Amino acid sequence: MRQIARSRWAALTGVAVVGALTLAACGSSTSSSESTSAAAAASSAAPASSAAASAAASSAAPASSAAGSAAASAAACTTPTPVKLQLQWFAQAQFAGYYAAKDKGFYKDACLDVTILEGGVDIVPQTVLAQGGADFAIAWVPKALASREQGAGITNVAQVFQKSGTLQVSWADSNIKTPADFKGKKIGNWGFGNEFEVFAAVTKAGLDPAADVSLVQQQFDMKGLLSKQIDAAEAMTYNEYAQLLETKNPATGKLYQPSDFNTISYEDQGVGMLQDAIWANQEKLASDTAYQDLTQKFVQASLQGWIYCRDNAQECADIVTKNGSKLGASHQLWMMNEINKLIWPSPLGVGVMDPAKWTQTVTISMNTKNLEGSTVITKEPDPEAFTDKYAVAANTALTAQGLNTTGDAFAPIEVTLNEGGN
Amino acid sequence: MSSRLRAIWPPILIAVIFLGIWQVFVVAKDIKPYLLPAPSLIFSNFFGSLNLMLATSIYTATTALLGLLFGTVIGLLLALLAQRFIVVNHLFTPLAAGLAAVPIVALTPILNNMFDISSRTPRVLVTMIIVFFPIFVNVTRGLVQVQPVQLELMRSMNAQPRTVLRLLRIPNAIPFFFTAMKIAAPLAVIAALVSEYFGGPQLGLGSRIASSAANTAYGRAWAYVVSSIIVGLLFYLAVLAAERWAAPWTGRARSA
Repeated sequence: MRQIARSRWAALTGVAVVGALTLAACGSSTSSSESTSAAAAASSAAPASSAAASAAASSAAPASSAAGSAAASAAACTTPTPVKLQLQWFAQAQFAGYYAAKDKGFYKDACLDVTILEGGVDIVPQTVLAQGGADFAIAWVPKALASREQGAGITNVAQVFQKSGTLQVSWADSNIKTPADFKGKKIGNWGFGNEFEVFAAVTKAGLDPAADVSLVQQQFDMKGLLSKQIDAAEAMTYNEYAQLLETKNPATGKLYQPSDFNTISYEDQGVGMLQDAIWANQEKLASDTAYQDLTQKFVQASLQGWIYCRDNAQECADIVTKNGSKLGASHQLWMMNEINKLIWPSPLGVGVMDPAKWTQTVTISMNTKNLEGSTVITKEPDPEAFTDKYAVAANTALTAQGLNTTGDAFAPIEVTLNEGGN
Repeated sequence: MSSRLRAIWPPILIAVIFLGIWQVFVVAKDIKPYLLPAPSLIFSNFFGSLNLMLATSIYTATTALLGLLFGTVIGLLLALLAQRFIVVNHLFTPLAAGLAAVPIVALTPILNNMFDISSRTPRVLVTMIIVFFPIFVNVTRGLVQVQPVQLELMRSMNAQPRTVLRLLRIPNAIPFFFTAMKIAAPLAVIAALVSEYFGGPQLGLGSRIASSAANTAYGRAWAYVVSSIIVGLLFYLAVLAAERWAAPWTGRARSA
């Protein structure tokens, strides 16, 4: 009864258990910035296309002369080329341009059969792309650069979002108006690699992140700020900030108003880092002409989708909802509108890289240290990290179709949020 | 001494062979670090920032130790009550089982919102809840499951319940207690580590593993995993040492 056999092998088992559980936990790192209240509800079971991703494109139009070829290839289209696009998160208006391009037939017109793969907590889009699980992927630039440095062969072919949508939100009465006011406060951040704008702002304000501010990893909801456990919380303009404004103020019985909060935009602070971009397989882009052609068509049709959503915000929000997004109607429309603000205007053309913003992102990625002293990347990315070629050609083609590709006259709509985003 | 050596070398040999195959596989197949880091990369990360590894491990180990301490004390107290009052036993056993079945992923966010997220408190509470159950169940069993013959002897001598507890039940429960501790100690480390995933101070192993993995710095992430394995192992070995010191008669080697 008391004879509990003991052997050194038990020690090995202990190691295995700790290791296995650590790994299991490790695998579930999530990209918090894209988290939504609907995350848990949304199914990650995106349909997997059975067709081979890299099937040769039937059209012979070379990438460089792709301008205006969409209509021509549509006419020649007999069997559409299957394409898989990997998103960072579940279907939501953050990806409306791609859903609109599919729904409005822009992909079909380019002879593409696009399958949109939803992301999830365990999915790293740039890894899926580099391993051939998808033909294109949507990823934030700093994270993709980090993956590139670790050997993932991917290239940015369209910088869709021109601005960073990250805010630091605090209560209006706490008087946190600039990053310098972070001193001595509890500053929430998401961690998981989404904290570098916060660290860059703190450092730029002349504060020591390790000593002058108390950095706290916040949960994926905004309860930490609402319950005043933390003084300022990281929030995306298009998601978490809206969650605050969808919450009832117990004091007034009405929803919280923007005047209840102070927001610091990291873009305005000059420490914004580029976010959603379309990434392609670097190796195939260098050697495979069929893939080059595919990339040209895909980028052009996707950007056309984003132009459509600029001009039809309500319809695009509905398209995303129709594609399985679990977000409430007013939250979805708010997100669509805020995403439009991050894209438009695009003075150089939609999807075209702003070199100054690229340099800013790379500089912060190389120089900003987080609490453990590590940076996003350690050396300058190689020239293959991004190319303008496809986006520029797409802009030429879309302009020839009579579309406004810079959005110089873009004006956001007014969205009224309802409680809980409904 | 030689028998001890004989007991140690097989696991070490297997570990070395395993790491060797891993290293050769990664180098030969030219597997990039974003997919699978080579052991050499992990160890260079580990030894390259040893101070950071130590500070990070100490943070998480402290959480685990506090949780283990509180969880053990509560588990023991409730077990003592449960052996004395059958109603407590019937009341608490299902409750404890239910509490232990609540997943950490559900528990931690709730505790983070209830208590100060910027402190260690919610994490210690999570660890405590996880640890308490195996202690409570095992020790209760050890206290109750005494040899009927011995119990009858005590009763025939009109022993008070307190005497029975001291002379019979507690000695009987000690091996059960150490068995429970051997489960609970590594579990405490895991609970402390996983609870860091849901927010709070970013100084511990769990936060750093997640943050490194999110930045595709898998070499660094695995260096932290190595640190957590060491912490878990130290906790386990500490229990073994405590058992040998406090109850040298239990589990004594029946090695042939």
